[in-house]
Amino acid sequence: MSMLRSSLSRRGEPAWQRRLPVGLAALAVLLLLYHLFGQSLGEFPATWNLQLREPLDAFKKWLVGSRSVNPLFLYGFDPLSGGVEWVIRRAEEFLLWLPWPTVGGLLFWVGLRVGGVQLGLLAIGCLGFMGGVGLWDASMQTLALMVASVSLALLVGIPLGIWSAHSDRGEAALRPLLDGMQTLPAFVYLIPVVLFFGIGRVPAVIAAVIYAIPPAVRLTSLGLRQVSEEVVEAGRAFGSTPRQLLYKVEIPQALPSILAGVNQTIMMALSIVVIAALVGAGGLGTVVLKSLRQLKVGEALEGGLAIVALAILLDRLTAAVRRSDDAGRGAAVVRRGWLLEGGVKGLTFGWRALPSPVRRHGWLWGGLLWGSAVSALCWALGWVDFPKEWNLSLAGPVDGAVRWAQLHLYRIGESGFGTGPVSDFMSLYILAPLRQLFAELLPWPTLVLLAAAAGAAVGGGWLGLASGSSLLLLGALGMWQGAIDTFTQVVVAVLHVSVIGIPLGIWAARSPWVDRLLRPLLDLLQTIPTFVYLVPVIMLFNLGRVPGVIASVLYALPPLIRLTRLGIRQVDETAVEAATAFGSTPHQLLTKVQLPLALPQILLGVNQAIMMVLSMVVVAGMVGAQGLGLEVVDGMQNNRMGQSVEAGLAIVVLAVLLDRLTQALARR
Amino acid sequence: MLRSLRIVVWVVGLLFVAGCAGSVPAAVEGGGGEKPLIRLIANTWPASELNVNVAAILLRDQLGYPVEIIDLDEQAQWDALAAGDADASLEVWPSGHGERMAQYIDEQKVVENGGELGVVGKIAWYIPQYVVDANPALASWEGLAAAEAAGQFVTAETGEKGTFFAGPLGWTQYDQQIIDNLGLNFQVINTASEEALLAQMDSKYQRQEPVLFYFYTPHAVFTRYDLAEVTLPTCTQEEHAAKVTDGAVDCAYPDDRLIKIFNPKLQQSAPDAYALLKKFNYTTDDQIEMLGMLDQGMAVAEAAQAWVDAHSDLWQSWLAE
Repeated sequence: MSMLRSSLSRRGEPAWQRRLPVGLAALAVLLLLYHLFGQSLGEFPATWNLQLREPLDAFKKWLVGSRSVNPLFLYGFDPLSGGVEWVIRRAEEFLLWLPWPTVGGLLFWVGLRVGGVQLGLLAIGCLGFMGGVGLWDASMQTLALMVASVSLALLVGIPLGIWSAHSDRGEAALRPLLDGMQTLPAFVYLIPVVLFFGIGRVPAVIAAVIYAIPPAVRLTSLGLRQVSEEVVEAGRAFGSTPRQLLYKVEIPQALPSILAGVNQTIMMALSIVVIAALVGAGGLGTVVLKSLRQLKVGEALEGGLAIVALAILLDRLTAAVRRSDDAGRGAAVVRRGWLLEGGVKGLTFGWRALPSPVRRHGWLWGGLLWGSAVSALCWALGWVDFPKEWNLSLAGPVDGAVRWAQLHLYRIGESGFGTGPVSDFMSLYILAPLRQLFAELLPWPTLVLLAAAAGAAVGGGWLGLASGSSLLLLGALGMWQGAIDTFTQVVVAVLHVSVIGIPLGIWAARSPWVDRLLRPLLDLLQTIPTFVYLVPVIMLFNLGRVPGVIASVLYALPPLIRLTRLGIRQVDETAVEAATAFGSTPHQLLTKVQLPLALPQILLGVNQAIMMVLSMVVVAGMVGAQGLGLEVVDGMQNNRMGQSVEAGLAIVVLAVLLDRLTQALARR
Repeated sequence: MLRSLRIVVWVVGLLFVAGCAGSVPAAVEGGGGEKPLIRLIANTWPASELNVNVAAILLRDQLGYPVEIIDLDEQAQWDALAAGDADASLEVWPSGHGERMAQYIDEQKVVENGGELGVVGKIAWYIPQYVVDANPALASWEGLAAAEAAGQFVTAETGEKGTFFAGPLGWTQYDQQIIDNLGLNFQVINTASEEALLAQMDSKYQRQEPVLFYFYTPHAVFTRYDLAEVTLPTCTQEEHAAKVTDGAVDCAYPDDRLIKIFNPKLQQSAPDAYALLKKFNYTTDDQIEMLGMLDQGMAVAEAAQAWVDAHSDLWQSWLAE
């Protein structure tokens, strides 16, 4: 295909390339005129439907019927998931069996080893928060689940990444698969996963693994592909076998990137915690779901913040591992570690007589011994469960704040301004007309051609063809209407994200104060389960399409702000100095130098924002927005798996299409 | 860097090994002799949890079964019961699970209908009491049909028509039919989840604005909001069924007799537990009593225990041969 592409572009460019989008757009307009003044072009033809729904529903029905008798399940899936469930449950029980000071001490110890005292204290702080809001047990359950999910995701993801780094064909095969895994809403595969793996921890782990593998694969592959040819050549020249080359040369070189992948994998896995509660995994997700069902926003927020604390804990620990080759800090850590180990050594007789592998891992045995000693002491004193008296309940004040907001922000005084009027305005003057434009005014062939024209304009003939066919595929999935609704909401949400995010990013790049203020807020928005703020968003903005847009905007802001800030900061110093020397005002500097140079990064941020908004489509459906999300939820609630899968695939198609279009735009 | 990575890998690995080794005795102990583990499903709303906790206490203390309560989504529970991953769920609203009842219970027989729970659910239209106080006519459909009534309930999403907030998609709903057939000037807005519906209602309630919505009793929210049922024309169960087939529903919802659903293998694997769960039957008042205790700050398990302590005459009859 790539050969064909190059020959085509050689023959056709540049005139062909330039005329194609214009031609397509002109054709689209002609069709529109024909539709308006001639004969109506009608709905997307129903006969083109791919007919996925019935076979999928039949398959599910067969699965339900044969689940408890089919040997594949009795001797295949059941023992497998039984075994995994057993291991995770034992880990949960173990974490709960340990006195809380031991768990705290252990994580402090790990934090100390990889990142210094500050990190150790941060670990203690995070754990203290989980205990303080009364969610110690649920947090330990979730921690065990996360450790299992992430281990499994890495166990599968890193080898896949290695394969994809060494084989172009492998990468080409994996890419669409990874795109699909990342954008297919978990709600679509939740019921099938339950059918195959039962309920409890295992389906939750599977769902988390599906969602969390892509970054592990991508960043491993990226890291390995970036290892310089010369290093590899040198290794080969010294007679390394391929195996040695991989383990001694490539992986150590690619480690920072692989570890970044590990870090991302953890974050992705954590975002599935609430969904995991739907299939019986327990833990913090259950706390959030139960509280929301009773509109106890404060309690839900406590659960959500405990998830955030877990995210911060795991994020900072893995990030510290990534940085811990930093010489100075490393040495300091080692020295402090030795102090503690020295104490242990004094306590243990015959240390020197231990075999050398044991001695080499002295810190480990030290940790274990300390751990046992602390545990024994705690058991003796009865300090096993996190003390209930240490209570920092946030629920009361938060509920109060939500009440207050409902009463005073919905309509601020007599001003006619507030969340209520804003919501009405968005609904009446932005969402409704836009939807009318796409769903009623423009006939479907015009939209297909316009998509093709857009694709051709930003990425050439092939992207044009792909864009046009993606739209046809949306129709053939039977999801034309839903896709149009969702697309409208995505457009509105992304516009809002850009209007808010880009200026904030610029501001953060220019003012360290703003940056410092924004950063924890962005961390929070990115890791708190979206379910937590759905209820308050509905309370302030009413049911319908608006709360979905608002929730998506909140979720998608962080990457755009971060990437805009990064883009502006990375603008070459010399360019800025040169412009200043030529007498640019700060305003000119920004609009003429910094913004144009940072544009690729900003567009990448917009791309990320689109992806984030699309990952919120199901959540938007849950607050009453028409579209693909509602189709997914409807299918799940009414035992129509086929419908959920169709809508889920449509979300994937839409996501991949918008991703390729914006990436092509960023490259230009 | 590799070194610190190794630290983390070791700690994780050790946690696992130690976790497995450390809690083997606990697991064996939990086996509790000969009786199999009974796995009860609790859905996310309080009444469901209360039923299951009462049953768990009885199974454990009276029959000596080890019991596990699994928090599970109400859709996923069907597949769990069909696969034998769980044994019973005690509060299923037939109006919300029509398609699954037809397929799993009647057609494929992979889930057993465990009989009625005894609690009778009632779906109805509700408006806040303050709306009725301001205009008593609005407590009936005739009042809502009056020309100027719908105007009070208008939102941006429905334009000139009044907004009717409906229940989640999976639930049986005839609201659009009722509205059309009674000639009301309202438009149905679907809500995709109960939380969403409640949040919308709460928001209007706090600001004392008019709101008309689909809801059901018994539910814990009635202790927190003063709500009035809108009277709709009545019809018998049979009339209603006939109107449903014709698409001509113009009267109130029929009663929803809540049922229990079981894993069909439970009867064999634990006959006395099955018998107890099958006979498990109490009234709306029993649930309301426990919901009241929850409101006073009791935990679910405590409220269930308090109910069990106070009503031994009732549950003794569930244990009798």
